[in-house]
Amino acid sequence: MSLGKLLERIIQLIPVLLGVSLIVFVMMALTPGDPVQIMVGEQSITPEQEAELRRNLGLDRPMVERFFIFLANAVQFDFGNSFYHGRPVADVIAERLPATIELSLVALVVALATAIPLGVVAAIRKNSVLDRVATVGSLLGVSLPGFWFGILLIMLFAVHMQILPVSGRIGYDNEVATVTGFLLIDTLLAGDIGAFGDALRHLLLPAITLGLPMTAILMRVTRSSMLEVMRQDYVTFAEAKGLPRRRVLYRHALKNALIPTVSVAAIETGSLLGGNMIVETVFGWPGLGRLVVESIFLRNYPLIQAAVLLYAVTYVVLNFLADILYTVLNPRVKL
Amino acid sequence: MTDATLAAAPSAESLFRRNLRDFRRNRLAMASVAVILIFVLMAVAAPLIAPQDPNETDLFRRLQPPGWAEGGDWSFPLGCDALGRDILSRIIYGARISIFIGAAVIFLATGVGILAGLAAGYFRGWVDVVISRVVDILLGFPYLIFAIGLMAMMGPGLLNIVLALAYKEWVIPCRVVRGETLAVRELEYVEAARALGAGPRHIMWREILPNILSPVIVVSTIRMAHVIILEASLSFLGLGVQPPTASWGSMVSDGRAFILEAWWVSTFPGLAILLLVLAINVASQALRDAFDPRFSE
Amino acid sequence: MKALPRLLMATALAACPAVIPAAVGAADLVVGFTLDADTLDPANHRKRETETIIRNMYDGLLTRDPDMLVVPEIAESMTQVSATEYDFKIRSGIKFHDGSDLTAEDVKFTLDRVVMENGMGDGMTSPRQGLMGPVASVTVAAPDTVRITLKEPWPILPAMLPNQQIVSKAWVEKMGNEGVATAENGTGPFKLVEWRKGDAVIMERFDDYYGGATDIPPVGKACVDRVIFKIIPESASRVAALLAGEVHIINELPAFSIAQVEANEGTQVMTVNGTRSFFVAMNMEGELFDDLKVRQAAAMAIDKGLIIDKILAGNAAPIDGILSPDAFGASELPKVGFDPEKAKALLAEAGFPDGIDVTMDTEAAFKDTAEAIASMLTKAGIRTTVAVGEGAQLSDKWRTKGAPKTGDMYFTSWGNGSLDPFDIFTPTHRTNDRGNSAGYANPELDKILDAAAVEMDVEKRRGMYHDAEMMITADQPYIYLWVPQDIYGVSKKVTGWKPSADSRINLHDACLN
Repeated sequence: MSLGKLLERIIQLIPVLLGVSLIVFVMMALTPGDPVQIMVGEQSITPEQEAELRRNLGLDRPMVERFFIFLANAVQFDFGNSFYHGRPVADVIAERLPATIELSLVALVVALATAIPLGVVAAIRKNSVLDRVATVGSLLGVSLPGFWFGILLIMLFAVHMQILPVSGRIGYDNEVATVTGFLLIDTLLAGDIGAFGDALRHLLLPAITLGLPMTAILMRVTRSSMLEVMRQDYVTFAEAKGLPRRRVLYRHALKNALIPTVSVAAIETGSLLGGNMIVETVFGWPGLGRLVVESIFLRNYPLIQAAVLLYAVTYVVLNFLADILYTVLNPRVKL
Repeated sequence: MTDATLAAAPSAESLFRRNLRDFRRNRLAMASVAVILIFVLMAVAAPLIAPQDPNETDLFRRLQPPGWAEGGDWSFPLGCDALGRDILSRIIYGARISIFIGAAVIFLATGVGILAGLAAGYFRGWVDVVISRVVDILLGFPYLIFAIGLMAMMGPGLLNIVLALAYKEWVIPCRVVRGETLAVRELEYVEAARALGAGPRHIMWREILPNILSPVIVVSTIRMAHVIILEASLSFLGLGVQPPTASWGSMVSDGRAFILEAWWVSTFPGLAILLLVLAINVASQALRDAFDPRFSE
Repeated sequence: MKALPRLLMATALAACPAVIPAAVGAADLVVGFTLDADTLDPANHRKRETETIIRNMYDGLLTRDPDMLVVPEIAESMTQVSATEYDFKIRSGIKFHDGSDLTAEDVKFTLDRVVMENGMGDGMTSPRQGLMGPVASVTVAAPDTVRITLKEPWPILPAMLPNQQIVSKAWVEKMGNEGVATAENGTGPFKLVEWRKGDAVIMERFDDYYGGATDIPPVGKACVDRVIFKIIPESASRVAALLAGEVHIINELPAFSIAQVEANEGTQVMTVNGTRSFFVAMNMEGELFDDLKVRQAAAMAIDKGLIIDKILAGNAAPIDGILSPDAFGASELPKVGFDPEKAKALLAEAGFPDGIDVTMDTEAAFKDTAEAIASMLTKAGIRTTVAVGEGAQLSDKWRTKGAPKTGDMYFTSWGNGSLDPFDIFTPTHRTNDRGNSAGYANPELDKILDAAAVEMDVEKRRGMYHDAEMMITADQPYIYLWVPQDIYGVSKKVTGWKPSADSRINLHDACLN
């Protein structure tokens, strides 16, 4: 992976970020709804107060000028103050980001840990009961609306059986010093196993709900690519040589079969960030997704712009990682 | 499909017939097709089948349980929603909306995606660069946020929902088509066609497209489920279809608040989504299995 | 979930002990709350929910008791020296959470910070400036007395003061605006332990609390050890948390969940009269609703009682004018009966024997109620289609402050937290005012409203608002619907607490058994 290629990728990032920022600006410009009026709501303010508010929020300038001001500040990592929090947008987002990332990562792990073994076994025992059940299950997984499934899980495990919590990240008795913002890591760093367990319990239902569609997709991809690989000549050849089937499968076939799985996983992780909002609302998860959608309804422009940029960067980085992984797993493919 | 069948080098016509027969032999697949047809029939014949007027409200029937439960009434077999409207009738009429949205978005998106993907993959060069950048930009937006923003911009309405969902949806078939085109364009039969003097349009339409259709179809049918659920998510956020029209997604979304008290309001439309999407997926899987020699099992 | 498995589940519940104990300490009172605070700075927000959370940690000069009577809190007494001057004697012995003493200087600083242009420094004016009306200046008249001087008489100053909480001058100057947003140093019964953004606000009892308002017993430090506001925006999840025993109080309990919370052993429902009036604005600038008969027909087409009974579970008070029955100046008004036949007749008289076709705008949250109303209107000949829109867009469309508007009907509401007509009557009915969605323009009414706003004689003022309401019932610019109650779900373990009409969740006197 040459430095040149790396630079090339970074440079490709720039038009994407510009494009994304431009789209957000244009969308906000064309969307009816005045942020100032929304902020003020039913309160009374004089025209002078309103003008001053508009000035303070930077909304008294023409759209084009605001765009360039935004770009100029953005390269210095200054994204302005949130209209509602009285604090820099970057701070507000940074506070909510770890929760979203942690949830997404755990959902990813759950998805991979479930999908890969299931997919492999389903392929090996093709057309068996397990295979059929797994296939139907995976189809179910992409057909269930997340908010409905999530509420059902809450009803079952939290209200009826009372073995899992309804919402939130961790119980209040557990005081965790914030080091990384990831509770699973911070609790371990503090040596507090009880808190670790509590954080894990809170993660369980939302992660399952969030990861379900991805599990379903990955299982199918794994299964079908495993099937294809199993049919390849080199597998038949190795079996003909007398190597035990299991060794052949796991050592040779699996590695190649996982390539599409991994690349799909990397790309779908981006969609996890997007699908977060619904799960975050249902489970009261204090993450970024909920914050962004609320901000759209409130026309909290600075926050929306910064968040969308963040998502775009994340997506590009994930794509890049996916490509690298792809090369590592399949040396024949050059970047 | 065995190797022997392939080696027999049949003509295109009987190969198709053979594939079709294999498909028909798959009982599960035929069952799925039947289910799909039932839903389509339901949508078309809604006024004839629905027991009640789907939009007639009756506050005295608010949240009435299904026919078999206590307090239920068999003339409202699946119970009533928050305004006393018959759920079964709303599901029947809702088939029109959900099927329309799912199909319209997918057709639109796949059509545009195929065109863009073919162009990008075949011509490469600056065409590819531009299209790829646009794809990257659009993919960089989380789906829901983009749809919300568009809906806020354009306002609610059935057509706007289709557009809002299709705006981003097209990049997915586009990527698949582009990738496949890149892989396939160097193959022998394409080279042969080029050598024979075929123009780019002929090559793209006649040589490349038919051979890459399979993965596109698979992806598209998976996405149809996504689209139906995304529409439900838009309803969840208050940007879905306008009342009194109901899509299954908006019915599930509206009923989620009552899940503790009146589970039937969300559950039955949810089941409808499940059944239709399942049927589509099973049928498409079987279709792929029957028609694509590469994946025959 | 089908009925049978649910039954099995419920039976299994008895056999299934709580495997892992709830992570809530014995004396922790948990509130399942809809919205997180935007900030902890009492001067820099506009949201009721933010204020509710802040008011457990910060006290104000005055406060309200659960029956909405204004009583002194940090102030020991209030004297009106003249029509434009009010003196507040400040109690002694009040400590901030950091141990420093509260003085009159802190009160002056707090109010200046809210009231003055650029009062917060850095070019920032407090968003709560508008709530303080025509305040001219705040001075320290004596070491323990603060005087508020108004530019003109403003009888509702005492009603509005509970919305401002007192901060420490030294502390705010040290921390700066950004520091104050995420930290806390008030004089309230609880102090901040941790603010887990978006998740929970954790507070603990302040043992040196001065005791609180003497008119709201018991006076003294708080009963529970800790209070936690747990943020659960989704209503079904909030109810689930209450039923699971994870939280003790929830706000915004939906009407259809009432039966379940009542049926559940260990929980109950508590209601309080609300302060938000719901109505349908009719566009009087349009061709259809500029005719009084058409407006009256629309009003008569609606069976308010049925909707209140079925959709709001009976938890609402019908209104015939704009004021809530609890508001100052509310009076007996002629009732608009439910008479769809008469409505049709009126329409015919107005020149619409075949009825009319209209659209009703509303926000998604009120879709169901709007549809119920629409179907009633349709039965009376006013064929109504509901159009769901986004709050921001609808505000733009309808609250135009005099600019021309399109649209037929708008189902919406207006809040009146102070329960004083000034906050609701004027914005919704005065010509071209900010909440006047109907486009109602009546110079006679404007005169009365303007005069009532500065009238100091309480009885005279009451009479003026009665006259005003009689005027609007005659003109019917809006279909006046109801004032819903605020519904709370409460665990039976909670004592010493009842809900307040101003949405304040005051946990000072709440105890947990």
